[in-house]
Amino acid sequence: MTDRGGFEGLDSCVHCGFCLQACPTFLATGDESDSPRGRIELMRALETGELAPADPGVALHLDRCLGCRGCEPVCPSGVRYGRGLEAARALLTEHRGVPPLVRAALGVLTGTGDGSRILYALTRLVRATGIPRRLVGWGRIRFAMGMLAATKPQGGGRRWRAVKGGAPATDASTALHRPPPPSPALLFRGCVMDGLFSHVHDATIRTLQVNGYEVREVPPQVCCGALHAHAGLRDEARRLAGTNIAAFGDDDTPIVVNSAGCGAMLKEYGHLVAVGGRGEAFAARVRDVSELLAERGPRPGAPLDVTVAYDPPCHLMHAQGIAGPPERMLGAIPVLRVITLPDAAQCCGSAGLFTLVEPAMSRAVLAPKLASLAAARPQVVATGNPGCLMQLGAGLAAAGVPAAVRHPVELLDESYRAAGYYA
Amino acid sequence: MTGGSLAAALSEIVGARHVRTALPERVTYARDGLPTHRHVPGVVVLPGSRDEVVAVVRLLAALGVPFVPRGAGTGLSGGALADDDAVLLVLTRLNRILAIDPKNRLAVVEPGVVNVRLSAAAAPHGLLYSPDPSSQTACTIGGNVAENSGGPHCLKYGVTANHVLSLEVVLADGRIVQLGSPGGEPWGPDLVGLFVGSEGNFGIATRISVRLLPVPRAIRTLLADFSALRTAGEAVSAVIASGIVPAALEMMDQSCINAVEDSVYAAGYPRDAAAVLLLELDGGREEAVAADAETIAGILRAHGARSVLSAADAKQRERLWQGRKKAFGAMGRLSRDLVVQDAVVPRSALPDVLEAIGRIAAAYGLTVSNVFHAGDGNLHPNISFDGRVPGLKARVDQASGEIMAVCIAAGGTITGEHGIGLDKLRYMPLLFDGDALAAMRAVRRVFDPDERVNPGKVVPVHACREWSGLRIADRGLRIEERGRSLAQSAIDNPQSAIAPRGAR
Amino acid sequence: MSLVDRVRALLGEDAVDVAATRDGVPRVAPGSPDAVALLLGTAREEGWRVRVEGAGTWLPADAPADLALTTRRLDKVPAIEPQDLSATAEAGIGCDLLRQQLADRGTWLALDPPGLAGRTLGSVVATATAGPLRQGFGPVRDHLLGVTFVTGDGRLVQSGGRVMKNVAGYDLTRLAAGGFGAFGVIVLVHLRLRALPRADQTLVLEGSREDLAQVAEDIAAAAVQPAAHELMSPALARRERWMLAVRFAGSAALVSAEEAALRAATGGRFTALRADEAHALWMRAAESFATRPVTFRVGGLPDSSDELIDLLQHQVGDEWVSASPGIGAIRWGGETTVDRLRRLRRTLAGLEVPLTLERAPWPARAAVGHFGAYREGVGPLVAGLRRTFDPGEAFVVAVEGTE
Ligand SMILES: Cc1cc2nc3c(=O)[nH]c(=O)nc-3n(C[C@H](O)[C@@H](O)[C@@H](O)COP(=O)(O)OP(=O)(O)OC[C@H]3O[C@@H](n4cnc5c(N)ncnc54)[C@H](O)[C@@H]3O)c2cc1C
Ligand SMILES: Cc1cc2nc3c(=O)[nH]c(=O)nc-3n(C[C@H](O)[C@H](O)[C@H](O)COP(=O)(O)OP(=O)(O)OC[C@H]3O[C@@H](n4cnc5c(N)ncnc54)[C@H](O)[C@@H]3O)c2cc1C
Ligand code: SF4
Ligand code: SF4
Repeated sequence: MTDRGGFEGLDSCVHCGFCLQACPTFLATGDESDSPRGRIELMRALETGELAPADPGVALHLDRCLGCRGCEPVCPSGVRYGRGLEAARALLTEHRGVPPLVRAALGVLTGTGDGSRILYALTRLVRATGIPRRLVGWGRIRFAMGMLAATKPQGGGRRWRAVKGGAPATDASTALHRPPPPSPALLFRGCVMDGLFSHVHDATIRTLQVNGYEVREVPPQVCCGALHAHAGLRDEARRLAGTNIAAFGDDDTPIVVNSAGCGAMLKEYGHLVAVGGRGEAFAARVRDVSELLAERGPRPGAPLDVTVAYDPPCHLMHAQGIAGPPERMLGAIPVLRVITLPDAAQCCGSAGLFTLVEPAMSRAVLAPKLASLAAARPQVVATGNPGCLMQLGAGLAAAGVPAAVRHPVELLDESYRAAGYYA
Repeated sequence: MTGGSLAAALSEIVGARHVRTALPERVTYARDGLPTHRHVPGVVVLPGSRDEVVAVVRLLAALGVPFVPRGAGTGLSGGALADDDAVLLVLTRLNRILAIDPKNRLAVVEPGVVNVRLSAAAAPHGLLYSPDPSSQTACTIGGNVAENSGGPHCLKYGVTANHVLSLEVVLADGRIVQLGSPGGEPWGPDLVGLFVGSEGNFGIATRISVRLLPVPRAIRTLLADFSALRTAGEAVSAVIASGIVPAALEMMDQSCINAVEDSVYAAGYPRDAAAVLLLELDGGREEAVAADAETIAGILRAHGARSVLSAADAKQRERLWQGRKKAFGAMGRLSRDLVVQDAVVPRSALPDVLEAIGRIAAAYGLTVSNVFHAGDGNLHPNISFDGRVPGLKARVDQASGEIMAVCIAAGGTITGEHGIGLDKLRYMPLLFDGDALAAMRAVRRVFDPDERVNPGKVVPVHACREWSGLRIADRGLRIEERGRSLAQSAIDNPQSAIAPRGAR
Repeated sequence: MSLVDRVRALLGEDAVDVAATRDGVPRVAPGSPDAVALLLGTAREEGWRVRVEGAGTWLPADAPADLALTTRRLDKVPAIEPQDLSATAEAGIGCDLLRQQLADRGTWLALDPPGLAGRTLGSVVATATAGPLRQGFGPVRDHLLGVTFVTGDGRLVQSGGRVMKNVAGYDLTRLAAGGFGAFGVIVLVHLRLRALPRADQTLVLEGSREDLAQVAEDIAAAAVQPAAHELMSPALARRERWMLAVRFAGSAALVSAEEAALRAATGGRFTALRADEAHALWMRAAESFATRPVTFRVGGLPDSSDELIDLLQHQVGDEWVSASPGIGAIRWGGETTVDRLRRLRRTLAGLEVPLTLERAPWPARAAVGHFGAYREGVGPLVAGLRRTFDPGEAFVVAVEGTE
């Protein structure tokens, strides 16, 4: 880590404003204080001490940043907004501590202790009753119920099906995809993913196996620390990073992640844990599941007759720069139609804990996306990040849009199942 | 009225959420696209409708409080800045496209609509909004109207003023006036033309009707590279004299090419070229455009182009243009601070002026990169520097002044599209005499008698001649000569020439 | 000292030409911009009422005034720059002379104003009278880079410049163009030029107005981009029926491609004219307007062009009409009354269409005004601008009528 803690990433900003229209919060309020350029101004003033971290006007607008980094890829000057934000948030947290709601959420969501385990178990129980589905709405609690309902594992059911008689991979293509000797990959499980989306982990393992990977578990791993870093708890994030680096060992086996948020964080370990280049080496091994699959084709499955709107998670698209591989995954499913919405690349407003701590802004950011989804009427909205899955799921349900949410790997999994690859 | 009660009164009109009084919030509005100027506004208000604008302006009129309209704040002359005794009136929330009329090829928009969004909305009808400032993904149509913005494609299709049909304006006292007519014919004197480019001094444009043009069916984009800046400049004149009007004719020098190639918008410009010209030919007929492109490519080669590349497809074309359009932003890579200049010279003077700029930069030990609308003779020398180095900013200002003087001496002007704002006030007396400045000020007072909208911009008040005075003494020199001798004195002695001259 | 003597003392013996005006108003011809300023400064002091004339040949020189100021001696062309495609000309130069000088240097001013060939550049600018080429090259103001004018109290005001783009200060050029001389006497004009077109082709089609209106729509739909696209009444075209004349100008490739597109879009019905025929057609149409006592222009939306012509036909007849349906501009010439003009302007204003009176005998001009029936809030602004530029009301110009 450099001596300026990340603020140096903001130096190249020339105030041109090209990032304004890429920022979901600016689009929601039209207010420069809610824009990347305005926040950079605030962060610079924080660094120089012109503004104090105690100033509520500073905190308000930095808190309202989604951290989606939609502002980075459009910036011609190469401003490292994310780096600067982390530094600024660390400064804020140093000063004011962590807000109770954030602290509580972090504790239960990302912990490894019995508390978290019991909570996740209870939550899954509630989810199983189907009650959340019936309660969804726009209020804080009702939206949370919607988010929970969105985590429930489901097949297409009656809404779409595998196409009967559609050839599940001909001999030729099987030959083409005859697995080379399986190569190993280590699964990063994460906290929320593991607690609520273990079915996505299962799908990840199965689909990777079909494509010639042998997925291994790494038991002593912990939460990636992304939520902590975003909350300004850099030291905790660093501690978690240290544990993970130790857990995953020193070889160069790829580490596979299916949560875009975790992936983005793991790839930042080099910046977070500079000692001895260990973080750097770890980060270089991290691969999104879509990357690994795309490298192998992936192998085509059986047709699914379904229309899918792909919504790239910010932390995949902007933070990791991964755009093509998820599309190749969906492309491996015959018949399936992918529609691209004009504002797909824009944040959904989930942004980790953002949806919990800044509900008003979060919903305002989500609204335009829901409107275009309502108009396009896809059967499935696919996105590769747990937060986005919950946010979109809850939003669609609350708005009465009859579309399911899925991780792309779930769709591929379903297609493989129909193709009989798991038989 | 105290700041607090003013904010309370404003909140009554627009809602408390849309009034910004906290210092950090106001600080985020302290600059526009030219960060060398910094003025923290007293209050920031973001009205959400025309009626709210009117109510806010009436309130401010009743209180005698000055105010400054602001769009996206991408202006490059410090125009959208307010001091702490003034209210900044931000128009980003007035962002609706009110109508698109494909039959009559026009659109009606609110001022906060972002330039590129209008073209996107018109595209399904096969139409586009032609003025395309490089900032088009961020700047607002209201800001474009206020600055009379241009862009690469204005060479053939004209600047903003050529595309505005009519305007609804809220004057300083809150009165609404309707300028022009729906079809674009002036209704009485050409007040639309007068308003466009008035930099927010005549009131707030709240509704803007603009002409749309058909999307050209045939396009050729050419990239020509040169081993000397002078040769590239001469090639520009040759193209212009050919009688074929390119849609766009842009030039970038080596330092700019490298900045772009280092950015995410790398376009594949040859890094070893001293300059490249980016040209576009367009029109409704494939055959004609292809033939014209051939002719132009021939002219470029005959005038020293090392190679002329024609974009193979829409993707490459887009890439070539993105590099150009984001070039200014990419300059952030060269250094911490940047002064972007804007001057226009006769096209035939380009080779000489470019060399003179190079000499000035060398004399002051500064890095100057050129990226500009060569077809119009509209130069943008960008000076990169590190503002933390003591004394450097003063040197940059001196060099800027000399560059301006050279452009004026060549028969040019001090701004082709960025406006005067705060930044160029000091050069106005080099270009206009006391009568011309006084005339401008008097016109402004017809719209805004108290000079309360965007005060302190555009016209250096101290340099205006008394307007009500009667006689003028015998004026020996003709206008042209006067301009030239002025510029000469500016070159001989930049410091004194740049200092305001006062009434003459 | 008499007015004439004072002026002689001020500007020299040869500046006054007493015999020349029919109504006995002394005519003064200053020889330089500074002389114009000096004269108007004195006029302001003395309270003289001044009417401005260009060549003074076509507009009835009939406005009541103490002296007529003619720009005819301001006829120099200080600069023509073919590489820059710009020129600087004094306001009193005749358009025909200017055109010739420009052509000699391979350049072209893409304006074809109505009136006789010798009308002055200043009058074209002052009255913003553009002809059929406005379809392809825009109104008069689009051809101006800068204008220098002298205000009613004798100040020489420079606006704009002589480069292609200029946003330094407010654009006062816009007031000079189409101000009908109310804001000052134009003395010097910087022009935006084009290269003399390599090819220039006019094609015509005769037919009923309805038929031609349909053809005009087809042309627009096919995105044909003509330099001129003019619907002319039979009297104007000197034909039996209405005529649609389409003109292409530019590179040979462009003209032949556009011509092919026109033929494709209209089933090859147009007839190409020879160069001399085309020249005669456009020239006669321009001159015809100068021979009618009254001319006005209206500007509506393109898709209302047809209805507007119907309205004109109904209220004032349609003998002399020239319309650019592609941009909704119509010029009308003929004989009519003050009442009809007033009523027509009111009706048009209801449709949000302005009527600008271009030419009429003084009594009619004074009664109707060049402008009127403004939209919301414009009247006070125009009045304020007039006070600013002509505080002593020295200029005799019927900006607004007397209704
Ligand atoms: C059909 C038609 C109708 C016209 N009707 C009118 C009309 O009603 N009123 C009218 O004013 N013009 C009118 N004009 C413009 C012009 O007067 C023409 O008649 C023109 O052909 C005569 O040119 P000229 O040089 O003889 O100008 P003149 O007839 O001598 O001057 C025309 C008018 O233009 C203005 N003008 C001319 N030169 C300057 C200048 N340098 N600076 C400022 N103002 C100047 C003055 O107001 C002057 O009264 C009309 C033109 C045409 C073609
Ligand atoms: C990277 C970059 C590239 C650029 N490229 C170009 C270019 O190619 N060509 C070009 O011409 N400019 C260019 N600019 C300059 C700038 O983008 C334009 O001047 C633009 O029109 C400003 O629009 P804005 O919405 O940002 O206005 P602002 O900067 O917010 O305001 C500009 C001025 O307009 C006034 N104003 C704003 N809205 C209104 C309104 N509704 N009514 C009245 N007054 C109003 C303000 O008071 C201010 O004086 C560039 C700027 C940047 C940063
Ligand atoms: S795009 Fe980059 S340089 Fe421009 S304002 Fe945004 S962060 Fe700054
Ligand atoms: S990270 Fe997202 S919300 Fe934050 S400033 Fe950038 S674009 Fe806006």
